[in-house]
Amino acid sequence: MSATNNRPAQGEEEEEDDYMSPLFLAPPTTSSSVPIKESSLQRRLRLKREAEARGRPKSKAELAQEAELQREKAHSTSLLSSKPQSKGLAMMAKMGFKPGSTLGSSTSGSAEPIRVSIKEGKEGIGLESERKRKLRELVENMEKTEKKQKVEAVDYRERMRKEREEQRLEGQIRGAQKVAEGLDTDRSKEKGEDIQKKLLRSLPVLWRGLVKAREENERDKRMRRDLEQHAMSRLPTYDDEDEDNDDKKALGKKQTVYEMSEDLDEEDKELDEFNGLTAEEKLKRLVDYLREEHHYCFWCKFQYPDEKMEGCPGLTEEEHD
Amino acid sequence: MLIGRPGCSSPHSPKFWWKLRTCLPNKKVAAALRTVSTGQAQQRSPRRSILFFAESFTRPLPRLDSPFGMADQKGTKRSSVESDAQESKRIKTDERNNPYLAHLNMDGANDGFKSPLDDMERHSTTALQAAKAEDSDVNPWTGKPHSENYFKILRTRRDLPVSKQRAEFLELYHKTQILVFVGETGSGKTTQIPQYVLYDELPHQTGKLIACTQPRRVAAMSVAQRVADELDVELGQEVGYSIRFENRTGPKTLLKYMTDGQLLRESMHDPNMSRYSCIILDEAHERTLATDILMALLKDIAHRRSDLKIIVMSATLDAQKFQSYFSLRKEDPPAPLLAVPGRTHPVEIFYTPEPERDYVEAAVRTVLQIHAVEPEGDILLFLTGEEEIEDACRRISLEVDDMVRESDAGPLAIYPLYGTLPPHQQQKIFDKAPASFRKGGRPGRKCIVATNIAETSLTIDGIVYVVDPGFSKQKIYNPRSRVESLLVSPISKASAQQRAGRAGRTRPGKCFRLYTEKAFKKELIEQTYPEILRSNLSNTILELKKLGVEDLVHFDFMDPPAPETMMRALEELNYLACLDDDGGLTKLGSLASEFPLDPALAVMLISSPEFYCSNEILSITSLLSVPQIWIRPNNNRKRADEMKAQFAHPDGDHLTLLNAYHAYKGAEQNGEDVKKWCHEHFLSYRHLSSADNVRAQLKRIMETNEIELVSTPFNNKEYYTNIRRALLAGFFMQVAMKESSNSKIYKTVKDDQMVMIHPSTVVSSPYDWVVYNEFVLTTKQYIRTVTNIRPEWLLEIAPVYYDIDTFEKGEIKSALTRLTEKVKRRQAMKGGR
Repeated sequence: MSATNNRPAQGEEEEEDDYMSPLFLAPPTTSSSVPIKESSLQRRLRLKREAEARGRPKSKAELAQEAELQREKAHSTSLLSSKPQSKGLAMMAKMGFKPGSTLGSSTSGSAEPIRVSIKEGKEGIGLESERKRKLRELVENMEKTEKKQKVEAVDYRERMRKEREEQRLEGQIRGAQKVAEGLDTDRSKEKGEDIQKKLLRSLPVLWRGLVKAREENERDKRMRRDLEQHAMSRLPTYDDEDEDNDDKKALGKKQTVYEMSEDLDEEDKELDEFNGLTAEEKLKRLVDYLREEHHYCFWCKFQYPDEKMEGCPGLTEEEHD
Repeated sequence: MLIGRPGCSSPHSPKFWWKLRTCLPNKKVAAALRTVSTGQAQQRSPRRSILFFAESFTRPLPRLDSPFGMADQKGTKRSSVESDAQESKRIKTDERNNPYLAHLNMDGANDGFKSPLDDMERHSTTALQAAKAEDSDVNPWTGKPHSENYFKILRTRRDLPVSKQRAEFLELYHKTQILVFVGETGSGKTTQIPQYVLYDELPHQTGKLIACTQPRRVAAMSVAQRVADELDVELGQEVGYSIRFENRTGPKTLLKYMTDGQLLRESMHDPNMSRYSCIILDEAHERTLATDILMALLKDIAHRRSDLKIIVMSATLDAQKFQSYFSLRKEDPPAPLLAVPGRTHPVEIFYTPEPERDYVEAAVRTVLQIHAVEPEGDILLFLTGEEEIEDACRRISLEVDDMVRESDAGPLAIYPLYGTLPPHQQQKIFDKAPASFRKGGRPGRKCIVATNIAETSLTIDGIVYVVDPGFSKQKIYNPRSRVESLLVSPISKASAQQRAGRAGRTRPGKCFRLYTEKAFKKELIEQTYPEILRSNLSNTILELKKLGVEDLVHFDFMDPPAPETMMRALEELNYLACLDDDGGLTKLGSLASEFPLDPALAVMLISSPEFYCSNEILSITSLLSVPQIWIRPNNNRKRADEMKAQFAHPDGDHLTLLNAYHAYKGAEQNGEDVKKWCHEHFLSYRHLSSADNVRAQLKRIMETNEIELVSTPFNNKEYYTNIRRALLAGFFMQVAMKESSNSKIYKTVKDDQMVMIHPSTVVSSPYDWVVYNEFVLTTKQYIRTVTNIRPEWLLEIAPVYYDIDTFEKGEIKSALTRLTEKVKRRQAMKGGR
């Protein structure tokens, strides 16, 4: 208390502050250093306050906390090293027990008593650890963002520019993918193949991601709708005998088969690899693909009749400016 | 398992006494579970010794020896076959030489009757021979003709899974001394294996019995009854049981079911278990304290007695632990194993996608959903204790009423099941499920909301759905704070599997686990900790000392407890003067071990004559050994409290118990209807009468050991003071001091735990110092059953424990210091006069 009183900034609030004290101007001392002499007034006040704190009945929460603290304290101290030495331990020593070892004929015995953990409330198994995990994640995320912000503050403008550029590129990639999908589909139709029936894996990696994202999106929507319709039947085994096929269809229970989505959840290394490329590289590959396969220039937005592609100014965006 | 199946229950056997071994918060109460009325039992098993000769006429091979008397003490060094052969020869010669029995041989010759057992040679019988003996018209064990019912039961017995492996079992049994037998619940092992052994051991030839232990007293009683029926004999004759405070065996007994604790107590007086030729430890997977100690003892005895056969039976498949434990010498291979599949159907297991916020709520919801959408089949829901179960039952029944009204659901009968429930209400769980309201309507079913007594110990047919929130109340003991309490804890994986298995008894079932699969894998421990790791061991250590085990530290525990637990136990026994400073058993210790009580209670009882109140302390001890005698129904709490106040003694709950008991005895003497009287006074007749019975048993032990039964005259003003002082003679380690004069908080002596007096107390003006019977740990810490004491008594009665130098600095130490000075001053003044 005396330490804080000596801090001028806070001293203003404290009426009993002794402005004449030589200690007033002295630098604030930490509590661990030599104790500061307190005046009789301060002493009286302190004692009064302490007595009040003692006399005040403790709240239930405080009591519970204190009791728990005492229990934890007892549970975390081994009795083997308690002083004075227990007679029980002396008897065991006579039988050949050495502190640190375990009982029994082998060494498999438990060295520590089982911990007492008290469950409060009706929380189910796993909830507490789940909550702890989430908290941990939150803290980690906060740390990450903090770090980021420090770096970003330096070159905010540069970052913004990059972000905008990236967004623009992503848009262009999506556009190029759509064009490629359209052209490829047209061509395969001409050949008589139905590219829609194919597995995801067999699509060109360049625009596979586009289809996959679309499929996933659709499936999510479907599942959400299903879930809403079956709020009643939460049990995973729900099957009502009274429903006929029409009911099932009406309730959306009948599963419609989506051919494309069969391998939706399978791992796709090729696609992952492609997604790992930089945006510029992805776009470049797409543009090249369109040019070679379809004589299409992404920048002219025009499909040339032959591979010479006469009239196209060049390969890059800049050349089209 | 047969326990509780309606077919094998008899109305008079107190079948549902398994009593909250796991559900009551007190080891004393748990101990009381082993108590049951004996008076009734003894009436039902009249001593048949007078009838013996008359009956012998029809007996093919009369047993001339007492089952206990012929213990083959000298023969331990001989090989078993040799000794058996000699012994049976001796019996036969004895028989011929006995002039009183001369007519027997003649009769036998005249009848031409030949017992099917005559052809069988001990330890080389075959399943075929046994089957032939079983099929014979005459009961080979009694000589009487078999009843019709016998053959009916015999047919069902032959259908049991274990029956197919009888030959295999015998072959293995002949070859080895120790055998591990694994049979899932429903395989029939508990009833059949002892009988297979019976037909091979032929105990009437050797005079040595077969013992089969059970962890629960109810199981011992009901299985014995069932096996007596199967063998077509009277319970208490050829087949009997023995549990604490009740022994229903006779001179003819060949096969004896008993609690594991009872066999352990017997072994204190017969360290070689010489009266048995085969000991079967059933339900070993439950790893009760007594079974663990018995396994260690039997392992040791097996070295000395090669003629003793041991079978360890377990219901779970992790038998390797037992096998390797029972390889007697290091170089020996593990004990051989025989496994019999149970009669089970597949159970589909479902987990919740997210952890539950409130498992009771989730459980209620799940039960309702099952009822709404699943096909026919009964539901079993596991919860942790009485309060929770009653609450869930209420909630389910309210919701079901709505469902029936609004959405055409079928009827749902809801039954709670926990140990303190009166037997007739427990019996209800076997009622048939209600029928559907109309033909073709949604099915009716029953839902049983149970503690984990429904996990292994009883079988309810018709259960198809199990709802498992994953918790149970488990006893826990920590030597550091000396906390011993029942706490709600997550179950183990093994337990969860056992619970799921309950759904597959009659047909394929479903188990809904109210936790995620991840939580199952990551948060549940593999196996439930064996009881030995969760218990105060002072009683066990005293028993081991009495058994003559010198080196407790290297005692061959299957799962050795923590060193601190043993240290505490030794220390406590030393303070109680049951062990001297060198760890040797004192006279008092030896005497205390004669009582089937915790050491503190036993010491209190033994020292009570010094306080002129042994009659009263005997009553109090008995009352503390049974479950709560007070009844406080939810809908009538006020009235119950008023009634209790009639018996209240302002200075203590112990004294109040005594008052209630005296009033009960008074009513009994006045010829009142005691049941009605109890009901009116909100007292449990069941528990009071069992306390009365425990009292009679303990009194007998006191008389045998010449402990005086005395009382202070009731109108002497020291009457209650003497009792309060006598309590301290055993419970001086369970004392708490008030923190400050206006506080309700107490601190326990030496352990410094902050506690409050349990609200159930009658003590109106608590003193600064109190003695308590138990420390209850819930979310709060309570001391229950409390009596006011004066701290001077502590210094006087337990000077060693209250040696001030051994106390840590604190309020209690300074209070004691002040007190010592005061006492000194007073003595000085007296001396000065």
